[in-house]
Amino acid sequence: MEETSDRLNPTTDTSGIAPEFDPKTMRSTKPGLKRLFITTSVLFSFLLGVPFLWKSVEIYRSPLPFHDIDSLSDQIESTPLQFPCNFHAVFVGFESKDPDKLRSQIQDGINQLTHQSSQCGSCNFSISVTVQNQADQCSETLAYNPSMCSYRCGVIKRNEFGVGLDDTVDESLNDVFSGCSENSGKTYSVVVVNKENANGEDEVIKAVVGKRRHAWVVGSGLEESYGDIVARVSEIFVKVFMNGGRDEESIHGEFMPVGSDGKIVLSFSLLNSNPRDWVYDWDFQRIDDALLAPVTKALAPIANISVESQVLYHTPKSSFSSWDEKLQSYIFRTSDLPFFVNSNEWHLDTSAGASGRSKILQFVVYIPSGKECPLLLQLPNGEISKTNGFISPMWGGVIVWNPENCDKDSESPSRNTISPQDLEQIVEIFLGQFRQLFGFKSEAIYTSGLGTYKILPSERGFTEWELDVLSRKHTCFNLHSCSTTLGSLSRLVRSLPRMIIKDEIGEQVKYSLKAAKLAQSNASLGGYSSSASSSREARSLAENAFFHPSIMSVSYFSYEHCFAVYSPFFLPVVAHIVFAALREWKGYRQEKAKYLTWLTRKKTA
Amino acid sequence: MASLIRSWIPLLILQSFLVAIAFGSKEAEEFSEALLLKPLPDRKVLAHFHFENRAPPSNSHGRHHHLFPKAISQLVQKFRVKEMELSFTQGRWNHEHWGGFDPLSSMNAKPVGVELWAVFDVPQSQVDTSWKNLTHALSGLFCASINFLESSTSYAAPTWGFGTNSDKLRYGSLPREAVCTENLTPWLKLLPCRDKDGISALMNRPSVYRGFYHSQRLHLSTVESGQEGLGSGIVLEQTLTVVLQPETTSVETNMQPSWSLSSLFGRKVVGSCVLAKSSNVYLQLEGRLGHESKNVDTEIEAHKLWKNADFDLSLKPDRVLRESSSLLFIFDIDKSSDSEPFDLGLTWKLPSKWSCQQAPLQATRFLMGSGNERGAIAILLKATESQEKLPGRVVTDGRCTIKANIFQIFPWYVKVYYHTLQIFVDQQQKTDCEVLKKINVSPSTDKVSSGMLEMMLELPCEVKSAAISIEYDKGFLHIDEYPPDANQGFDIPSALISFPSHHASLDFQEELSKSPLLSSFKEKSLVRSYTEVLLVPLTTPDFSMPYNVITITCTIFALYFGSLLNVLRRRIGEEERFLKSQAGKKTFGLKQLLSRLTAKIRGRPIEPPSSDSPAAQSSFLSSKLIFKIILVAGAAAAWQYFSTDN
Repeated sequence: MEETSDRLNPTTDTSGIAPEFDPKTMRSTKPGLKRLFITTSVLFSFLLGVPFLWKSVEIYRSPLPFHDIDSLSDQIESTPLQFPCNFHAVFVGFESKDPDKLRSQIQDGINQLTHQSSQCGSCNFSISVTVQNQADQCSETLAYNPSMCSYRCGVIKRNEFGVGLDDTVDESLNDVFSGCSENSGKTYSVVVVNKENANGEDEVIKAVVGKRRHAWVVGSGLEESYGDIVARVSEIFVKVFMNGGRDEESIHGEFMPVGSDGKIVLSFSLLNSNPRDWVYDWDFQRIDDALLAPVTKALAPIANISVESQVLYHTPKSSFSSWDEKLQSYIFRTSDLPFFVNSNEWHLDTSAGASGRSKILQFVVYIPSGKECPLLLQLPNGEISKTNGFISPMWGGVIVWNPENCDKDSESPSRNTISPQDLEQIVEIFLGQFRQLFGFKSEAIYTSGLGTYKILPSERGFTEWELDVLSRKHTCFNLHSCSTTLGSLSRLVRSLPRMIIKDEIGEQVKYSLKAAKLAQSNASLGGYSSSASSSREARSLAENAFFHPSIMSVSYFSYEHCFAVYSPFFLPVVAHIVFAALREWKGYRQEKAKYLTWLTRKKTA
Repeated sequence: MASLIRSWIPLLILQSFLVAIAFGSKEAEEFSEALLLKPLPDRKVLAHFHFENRAPPSNSHGRHHHLFPKAISQLVQKFRVKEMELSFTQGRWNHEHWGGFDPLSSMNAKPVGVELWAVFDVPQSQVDTSWKNLTHALSGLFCASINFLESSTSYAAPTWGFGTNSDKLRYGSLPREAVCTENLTPWLKLLPCRDKDGISALMNRPSVYRGFYHSQRLHLSTVESGQEGLGSGIVLEQTLTVVLQPETTSVETNMQPSWSLSSLFGRKVVGSCVLAKSSNVYLQLEGRLGHESKNVDTEIEAHKLWKNADFDLSLKPDRVLRESSSLLFIFDIDKSSDSEPFDLGLTWKLPSKWSCQQAPLQATRFLMGSGNERGAIAILLKATESQEKLPGRVVTDGRCTIKANIFQIFPWYVKVYYHTLQIFVDQQQKTDCEVLKKINVSPSTDKVSSGMLEMMLELPCEVKSAAISIEYDKGFLHIDEYPPDANQGFDIPSALISFPSHHASLDFQEELSKSPLLSSFKEKSLVRSYTEVLLVPLTTPDFSMPYNVITITCTIFALYFGSLLNVLRRRIGEEERFLKSQAGKKTFGLKQLLSRLTAKIRGRPIEPPSSDSPAAQSSFLSSKLIFKIILVAGAAAAWQYFSTDN
């Protein structure tokens, strides 16, 4: 079938060329390829256009390093982050004790306490032991860490040590151990002094943990019960210096009250529940300058803290209290605490200063109205709480402050200012609550099975070793949250193939991974503040990527849309082309067969 | 959830500090509340709540506060706001009956919806950014869609037409914003007593929102301390103006209705907010006793003022002040208590009639023209009766004139032709130079910025009416830019007419008065009035149109393509031959024509109907059917594959 066929009319040709020529089954000319060529070329050009079309409807997705994200989270899961710590034990006044033996005993004790499991944010410790005998001669373990502080033998005098105030002892120990290089982690030291039992009476063993990174155990006759002493030394190392003296289960590391941008806003509110009875005001500016500024400064490596205050009125609590005849006061119980905070009336407000994802911790001083004054908190054991306050993790704390005189003297409300002494007390309670929010104890005593340890409080709210613990935990928490955030992001991105991912997100993920890597390497080198800051950066970048505004714009250009837009054109056209090509191909083969039969016929003829 | 501090051990040895806290030595934050009640000539009552909160100059703004709302202070600090006014309004102020020439109306008669203007204290280049951030912050603070003012098409930077001359001023309004309790509650949250106590306890939501007019306003301004190293102070003024209709039992129609606070609001005042420095209720009676003697010194005459033949007050006012044409009764609500609530009532005994002072010109605005293509906006200024009596006429070159500023924002889709501006004074067209003193035009840019027109007219004093008209074309919006319910039409924000040579003030000659309300009345305020909001219907497309267009064009393309392919491919001669052979068999002319037609349409030769056996036909049909079924199934499978894949 080709264009020449209309020139040679088969009906006239049949008689002319060959006697056997049958126009129904044969043809004399070669079938043409022109039409077949046209239809197939159109078909092929359409097929070639498909990838281009596919490319044009594709949405932009910045490539995310999925593999790196997975490996980061695997790494954090499998090998918890550990910081190098140096534990140095000095035994003064001990005869005939081999330092290496002591070292291995302490090591055993520590291993027993940590159960060989390495928690995230714990110490990768090295121990050194110095024994100073009664003649002030020293023997040391071979320090395999050259940067370790060296204890100058004989500086601690056996019988003069531990006399006087604990604070001065702490300061003197700081002088003793000064000159420690802080290159590879922090050095914590415990001094055990075996005193001469001078007056013969059984002296109590006294264990004190100082404000810096030193602790001391003083007692007499320690040589005899030295197994006990070794256990206590290892306990100080693990429970206090490594874990910050906190109960493992009390507040989990997940609840680090620091915003993902590394900021905390402390919002203090003084609530006058009924100003018709009395109105109290405070001078918070002074409190801020005098008492809170050192705390915020001390915590600067962990978080950037800002302080705000306000006074609110007409803010009743939403739980009930009952009159207790015996105590001559109104009491509320611990079971009422979930209902104490009245979110309808206490417009504590989020702060405009806390932009982005800062954490706001609310600290509320509640002044009860005349109808419920004095208001006391009863503990489950029937006792009255001494602080009259409670905390709510990740939210903040509430302190109930009762006015001195609960009688309303006159019709008109009295306007008072909380006295500086009372304010000081309130701030002390607040600091205790603040410590609790960070997972520390508010008490100055740490008790374990082996005895009690006195912990010297710092005027800055947090001691140096506590800050070390915080920065270790904080780094660990940041890295953990960074890896979970990135993990969720990668899962989300992989589950939604039609989601647009901008380059910014890709960059943020990349930098976040970089910062996380840096934090890990800094941590293993013992750089506490550098690892804390880079882990903070990693977390905030990861959160920025996850909460990027564009991530919500899942493309509405769906497959359905694609079909709806393109099918009216492509369906009929493609049908035309495919059928035409098929028909041409069929026709060509038919005609070719015809031609071939004619050829064979001609040959045979 | 709450864990306890179980015991109290003096944990931290805090440096003891002894500070003599002397609040008297430094200026403290101050709060005052006031309520002004005013019977209106059209048998309604106006209630104007006024709260003022002052923060003295300090460096701890945004951080430590006692009475002043922390949120506002942080806003001021963060966006460096110098002055700002935000108003939420429902209903229109009736200038004719409710007055147009007193401080109350010039400050509190606001355009419908939300109006926001702010002056910033930042470099010129950062003003727009500050504005955008401020709109978002306010939007969150007041639960309103103020953030729509963020887009550069919705706000303008007036130069002189707005009254406040500053190049760091931004102005925007949202006429369609619905105002309700969700806006009032955050506004009340800024007051120290909220609506728990004091005058604000009267704000019973149903009665407040039942009114004819409701305008809630927040105005803040910073006061420079003038001292080096000390921050500036902030004055926050919050007002709520409502016009209510007292329920009347009297049958006489010309009698003014009697009312009391409890009948208006359904609540009583049981005492002042204890935190307020002053809390007063004022009752203003206008147009009364102008002819009587000025001195009210004696007790009897004072008594006469509040219990006389015309009306009775249920409570004795603490003081009475008078202005040229109005009386002001002052009540101190400090004395009220739970047992003795403050419930001021006014009982009219005789029918009385008075009128309010009106602005020199009364403005209305309307649309002209029809159709969806073009139209014209006209602003009509009509002289009021009180025009002659008003001060503020300016005599220049021997002619007495009234100055009027017109400030108008046009959205970009209303494309105004500024050359078509026509001004008619007393039905006679005037050339521009005769009456137009000053004009400032900033044309709109499509989808980028809105247009703005500022005009200063100088009209002769004896003018009866003046009209300004300007023509416009309606623009086309992109399909994405239409708001929901686009068929409702688009709003053109109110125009602002202000009279720069007229200033309203009420001076009660009260030298002792420290009341912020009275002192704000005393300040000379520019007389201004807002016109109506215009509703412009634009051509709204059928929103399914893109798909229709796609389908139609695609079908046309497909047809074209298919026929082109057929032309290239088909063999006309062969088909004709075939048809000829068919024609040899059948001689019916009509049938031949039909078959030729069908052949043409189908694009392939038709088989002679009798030649094929029914079996062959059925098998052919079935194979075709099977092919079709396979095709559809394949498409379905592919579809299934792709749709489950994502």
